[in-house]
Amino acid sequence: MEKDHKAKEGIKGWINPAKYGKFGIERFAWILMRITGLGLLAYFIGHIYETSNILSGEAAWNSMLELTQTTEGHIFLALVIGMCVFHTGNGIRLMLVQMGYGLGKPARPDYPYKPQSLNMKGKACIYATIGIAALAMWYGVTVMFG
Amino acid sequence: MLMRESIVMKIHYGTALGAVFLTVIHIMMRMTQDFHESLEYENVLANYEMIGYAILLELLLILISVHGFNGLRVILLEIRQGATYEKGVTYGCIAAMAILIAYGTRTILMANMGMV
Repeated sequence: MEKDHKAKEGIKGWINPAKYGKFGIERFAWILMRITGLGLLAYFIGHIYETSNILSGEAAWNSMLELTQTTEGHIFLALVIGMCVFHTGNGIRLMLVQMGYGLGKPARPDYPYKPQSLNMKGKACIYATIGIAALAMWYGVTVMFG
Repeated sequence: MLMRESIVMKIHYGTALGAVFLTVIHIMMRMTQDFHESLEYENVLANYEMIGYAILLELLLILISVHGFNGLRVILLEIRQGATYEKGVTYGCIAAMAILIAYGTRTILMANMGMV
């Protein structure tokens, strides 16, 4: 019989708020990367379906477009912009980290055993990415409501 | 195993960079005129009928589908592991990706050829 290798905590581990206090902004970026990734995939599937309405003629296109031309639709699209910018920025940070940039120099592990990789450079990048995502959302709102 | 995980992740990063570059162009196309005007039926159809832009859309469709469904696979494998489960997730994601690419390609081809 196949052995079941369930992750120890699974989804509960994702949403446990106690973990954020323990692991800080890096843990927040980790969960946000997954949430934004899933959100963007869902949006992408919806976008492919939405744009396929062009084949059904002008009336079908306009009625589908009306869904996004509302206040709620614009807020939703602003959220998509924010998710997209955060996912991109944090993704680039992760690529650079995997290439070894910004990890810090190896050092003897002394108490309180803070990992060299979880340093201020990484934290600053995460905060900057969240800030840029917020600015992009604001710009998107001004374009859509403008 | 279909492919080494290190190769899959290189594809994941490559598709991400490609998708970012093409998405910027895709969004810039909406900015060439007033945002709401650019979404009008005739304007969108004219975009599809430009062969260069249709190729860009097809590339974008493939890059985002590959990246998105591989990302979903990675998330699902983080939650739970096991040989049967992993195989199911991998093949399920490949199938979903293929269906989405086929559906999107149909729209691009038909709109490009004026079959509306």
